[in-house]
Amino acid sequence: MALSAATTAATEALKVNRAPTGVNPQEVHRWMQSFNWDFAKNRTKYPTKYHMANDTKEQFKIIAKEYARMEAIKDERQFGTLLDGLSRLGAGNRMHPKWGETMKVASNFLEVGEYNAIAAAAMLWDSATASEQKNGYLAQVMDEIRHTHQCAFINHFYSKHYHDPAGHNDARRTRAIGPLWKGMKRVFADGFISGDAVECSVNLQLVGEACFTNPLIVAVTEWASANGDEITPSVFLSIETDELRHMANGYQTVVSIAHDPASSKYLNTDLNNAFWTQQKYFTPVLGMLFEYGSKYKVEPWVKTWNRWVYEDWGGIWIGRLGKFGVQSPPSLKDAKQDAYWAHHDLFLLAYALWPTGFFRLALPDEEEMQWFEANYPGWYDHYGKILNEWRALGCEDPSSKFIPIQWLEKNGHKVYVDRVSQVPFCPSLAKSTNTLRIHEYNNQLHSFSDDWGERMWLTEPERYECQSVFEQYAGREISEVVVEGHGVRADGKTLIGQPHVRGDKLWTVEDLRAAGCVFSDPLRN
Amino acid sequence: MANYPIHENPTRDEWAAKIDRLTTLKDASKAIKDFRKDNTSPFRKNYDLDIDYLFIECKLEEKLADMKGQHMKDDDLLTKTADGECPEEISNAWIAKMKSAKDKFVAEKVLIEFRQTYKPPVMPVNAFLRADATLGSLLMEVRNTDYYGTTLGELRKQRGVRVVHLQDGLATA
Repeated sequence: MALSAATTAATEALKVNRAPTGVNPQEVHRWMQSFNWDFAKNRTKYPTKYHMANDTKEQFKIIAKEYARMEAIKDERQFGTLLDGLSRLGAGNRMHPKWGETMKVASNFLEVGEYNAIAAAAMLWDSATASEQKNGYLAQVMDEIRHTHQCAFINHFYSKHYHDPAGHNDARRTRAIGPLWKGMKRVFADGFISGDAVECSVNLQLVGEACFTNPLIVAVTEWASANGDEITPSVFLSIETDELRHMANGYQTVVSIAHDPASSKYLNTDLNNAFWTQQKYFTPVLGMLFEYGSKYKVEPWVKTWNRWVYEDWGGIWIGRLGKFGVQSPPSLKDAKQDAYWAHHDLFLLAYALWPTGFFRLALPDEEEMQWFEANYPGWYDHYGKILNEWRALGCEDPSSKFIPIQWLEKNGHKVYVDRVSQVPFCPSLAKSTNTLRIHEYNNQLHSFSDDWGERMWLTEPERYECQSVFEQYAGREISEVVVEGHGVRADGKTLIGQPHVRGDKLWTVEDLRAAGCVFSDPLRN
Repeated sequence: MANYPIHENPTRDEWAAKIDRLTTLKDASKAIKDFRKDNTSPFRKNYDLDIDYLFIECKLEEKLADMKGQHMKDDDLLTKTADGECPEEISNAWIAKMKSAKDKFVAEKVLIEFRQTYKPPVMPVNAFLRADATLGSLLMEVRNTDYYGTTLGELRKQRGVRVVHLQDGLATA
């Protein structure tokens, strides 16, 4: 049989570069380095305003045999624990149901992030010119593939073992109707893979991974454990062991452009925009998932945020990059304010729109309300009273025919969607830094909620054209939209989203239709 | 917005029928260019097709790509546009146009117009991506220099937006 051209080329290459005879990691590493790319013809297909240096080093010193061996052991431990020990212990059904619902969001959304990170790391591989730097990015591609599988496996495991699999089994089918999806795609997809390749690295590695994986992947394990979930820590901590090397890749991206004085014109702007982009979504969403999606609280989100985002990332990590001219983002102080109230604002809106979700939300009980008031003084008078009024109006009971979004409309509290972040906000109820501004441009109306995002849009309007759910479905009755957007369970009538975590009194399409709720576009009404 | 389902609706049916009627490469290429100029980017002529434009554009792309496969020689698929032009000459002309743009607002229109006119399958993807990366890099340099040098109020004026509403307490200038 004739050898293929690729096999022949590989055979010839091996004659020149003899394969190592041992498994010494450094020997293997040196050997791998001898395989090179043709820099003379290297011209990336991705745009960037930066010039990456040709001699950048990578910090991944263990690749090939050592890498594969390390990851294989981690996978064996993780999958072995899940498929054997945790299955026998019935762990899939032992967490508090509020947390079981939270994991529908966390694992599905992180899966999207990991999936896009595969493309992002590959784009950086294509953009870099230094051999070692390419190696670092290439290894990250492999990591991200592993992480995508891991997140999918969490959903697979829960689908089989958790008492309410709807939402774990096929969340993405609801992506057109759920208001949280679009913002998630802004941070986890657009932010990682669109625009300047180096800006994408800043989004993914310098902010997403170095800053937000700590609360997203590490802190979430503490909340999971507190709520009886042993599955999430088994998987997420295994993921996080790789993240450190990705943070190192972000560091090396900055090192590779620091040689060029022109970089200083752009880097801090890109960092500020990336930080604001990521925090605008993660700050409220993570806070909401932890505090409102759990029964047993670990600590107030604002404390977690201050420790990981403000002090560890904004101070220490960015401080280490100071020698390359990197400064803490000026938007950090606005974000710090959001860390206190933004997640409460978001829960109000998420709960008001519960039928559009692929997970169940529950109102805080009396004990939880006391916890909120103790940790966020003033919470009850602003949020607690509204939630209690909704409860009194029967929002949990299908016979009430009452959806809280109707209460917001009736009381003049319009819900807008920020064009840039795609995060919903209600200016008349928000206690976070959100402030409404509406602009008309080329006969189209756009709403924004902050200075940083508005400036991004004014500078690059073609990047932020996503329609909001209110624009998309204006004038349409909500049950029709939910059915069309696949928000119904396998029985064809019960909704996936529910306003409680009880086993009875589940809302159906008919119950929702009876509420007579119609989408309206706040920009047009 | 129209009060009908998103995935199957009369607008999409109407466009699918229009696209079916395209029979020549020349007509298909013109149709996609016209459609993109009328219905895509922040400078589009109107937002009537805001819900459906991506679907329709995708169907136009499928049609043109399919017709290129039927009517063009294999070698030409990589070396000519759907209209038989030389991609390299076109790319050079647009890069020169970008370099001569007097400010970022002119420069962004150059890139958007280039994309509306030549995004694949009009131009072969190998040539398009090279040109697009160069044009994009030049635009980003111009847009991102002195990013915070203009106040928001001034930037709104430069962009030409009509300020409809500013929440109490927000500076108007």
